[in-house]
Amino acid sequence: MNDDKPVYVCEDESELAKAIESELLGRYSVVLSETGAEAMVAARAGRARLLVMDRMLKGADGLALVEELRASGDRTPVLMISAMGGVDDRVAGLRAGGDDYLVKPFAMVEFSARVDALARRLSDAQTTALAAGPLTMNLISRKVRRNGREIDLLPREFKLLEYFMRRPGQLVTRQMLLEDVWEYHFNVQSNVVDVHIRNLRVKLDAPDEKKLIVNLRGEGFVLDADA
Amino acid sequence: MRMRDLFRSTPLRLAGTFALAMVLLTGGVFSFVYVATTDAWIVQLQTVFADEAEKAAASDEERLRRSLSLRLTRDFRRLNFVALYDSSGALVFGNLDRRPDIPIDGRTHYVDDFRPAEGVTPEPTLLVARARPNGGIIVLGRSLDEVVTLRRILARALSFAILPLAACALGVGFFFARRTAGRIREIDRAIASIMQGDLRARLPTASGIEELDGVIASVNLMLDEIERLLGQLASVGDNIAHDLRTPVVNVRAGLEQALAAAPKGDSLRPAVQSALRQLDRAMNTIAALLRISSIENERRHSAFRDMDLAALCAELHEFFLPLAQAKGIAMSLAPTTPVHKIGDTDLMREAIANLIDNALKFTPRGGAVHVAAMLKNGLACVEVNDNGRGVPAAEAHDIFRRFVRGSKAGGEPGGGIGLSITATIARLHGMNLTVADNAPGARFTMAERFVKAPIRQE
Repeated sequence: MNDDKPVYVCEDESELAKAIESELLGRYSVVLSETGAEAMVAARAGRARLLVMDRMLKGADGLALVEELRASGDRTPVLMISAMGGVDDRVAGLRAGGDDYLVKPFAMVEFSARVDALARRLSDAQTTALAAGPLTMNLISRKVRRNGREIDLLPREFKLLEYFMRRPGQLVTRQMLLEDVWEYHFNVQSNVVDVHIRNLRVKLDAPDEKKLIVNLRGEGFVLDADA
Repeated sequence: MRMRDLFRSTPLRLAGTFALAMVLLTGGVFSFVYVATTDAWIVQLQTVFADEAEKAAASDEERLRRSLSLRLTRDFRRLNFVALYDSSGALVFGNLDRRPDIPIDGRTHYVDDFRPAEGVTPEPTLLVARARPNGGIIVLGRSLDEVVTLRRILARALSFAILPLAACALGVGFFFARRTAGRIREIDRAIASIMQGDLRARLPTASGIEELDGVIASVNLMLDEIERLLGQLASVGDNIAHDLRTPVVNVRAGLEQALAAAPKGDSLRPAVQSALRQLDRAMNTIAALLRISSIENERRHSAFRDMDLAALCAELHEFFLPLAQAKGIAMSLAPTTPVHKIGDTDLMREAIANLIDNALKFTPRGGAVHVAAMLKNGLACVEVNDNGRGVPAAEAHDIFRRFVRGSKAGGEPGGGIGLSITATIARLHGMNLTVADNAPGARFTMAERFVKAPIRQE
């Protein structure tokens, strides 16, 4: 369908732009746009799959560009990247219309996980039930079943699983979970997220069943929908 | 303030000393007046009397009697005594029936309790007796009743004046001493907040003491300079962090690509993987450095809202509980009654999370971690206790400095970053982060410095 639309990368640091390009190539077609102008035109014309927008570009304000885009009614997903990781910067970035906000420096794994999440984002409008592999989740009755077996989850575990089920087969990083499930915008040194996942896993997987949530060493977790 | 503190307070001691000095001074002046007036009078009378007696003894009978009778006639108050005795000792003229018992030497004698006649109250009197050429004796006397009365009036005046005077002195002394002490306390408070790291604070000028104002102005100038230099230093650090970031990101991206392209079993893979891990640590450190300086520099209080520290603790307790259980640590939460404080919820959550994270990291299996938010003397306070390895006293101050890690931290990654971020956030919220011995273990306390209005001493 629209999988051939390119990702527009508005980043004026050429080395970082190149690194991003080579990270994304192979999965996406990439267009670099140093000033953001081409990206804006493409987005308005519906030719962009996703915008990666540096908040501060040479001669342009990334934040203002996104605001402008949203004001014109365009809904093209935007991933803001910025050196400004300040207290209110993230809020400002999201309020302007960014769909996600990643503070530099970031690991490429983190970056491409965010891009994947945005590019493949389901239209989450009015969904009442989710399904992934053997799992079904009813968002109204808040019931989760695996192959018909009902699984009892705490509210936070439910939210955690919902996050995975909305992104089956996608890499989900610890930072994404912290930010989106707990809404914590800081680094936790310990592996507390892993422990939460482990607890969720214990409930999801009966002893003889295949692991649904898989650890990718050092990178994050994937809900294996083909299990 | 309590009574005990009141008596220990400098203003009261100063006022007391001042009042005592005033009382002593006034008493002294009164005593001087008392002694000076009455004694001078007595001395004068003594001289006059001796002289009179000498002249009277020598003058002829006729004139003597006339002048003596004149003296008596004028003396309605009966203060004067005169008497002439013949050689046998019988009264010839005058108002003293019995000759007073004093030596007949022409010198004035002071008799403390002279009774001019039977049934009269004795009173202090000056008397002089002198032999006359005709063999008789002349006695002149003068009652000192007036002096006694004067003394009594003076004494009464003193006793009436001394109490109000002492009270006044106490009051005035207290007022001025309190004002001075209050100003010094203000200065002290400003110094305290500067010592706690608020380099933007300045000592209050216009202390009302000129010499002190000079010193304060100099200290404030010095602080301006220190702040400027530290600002320069910090911006150098920030710039380095900024400049380091991009190459680190780029190197990391390059290594990741190289790793992805390298065939399995390539001999360079472990080296690249190790380099990536080291780079991640470097990036964490850079991110934390920038985070600290952005918290420090923004100092945005506009995002401050009312928040409940107890609710934050409860939420984070829930968040970390699975980790504690996995590590075999008993984590408990104090019963939650709301502890309200104005602040930035996101930052405060980060600060508390770092404390809990840190406690869990340094507590061994089987240990305990306790989280509590409370009001201590009306000041909001968050405490995280553990019974782990603790922090040696010598390191207690250092561990809040950027990226210092306790010697006992061993190989634990990231120790120090969290605490220095927490300390920065605490400072932004007017709180102090301190560590104490929990015997065994460590007790981290993040406590408000003052309530909104400084506590008044009175």
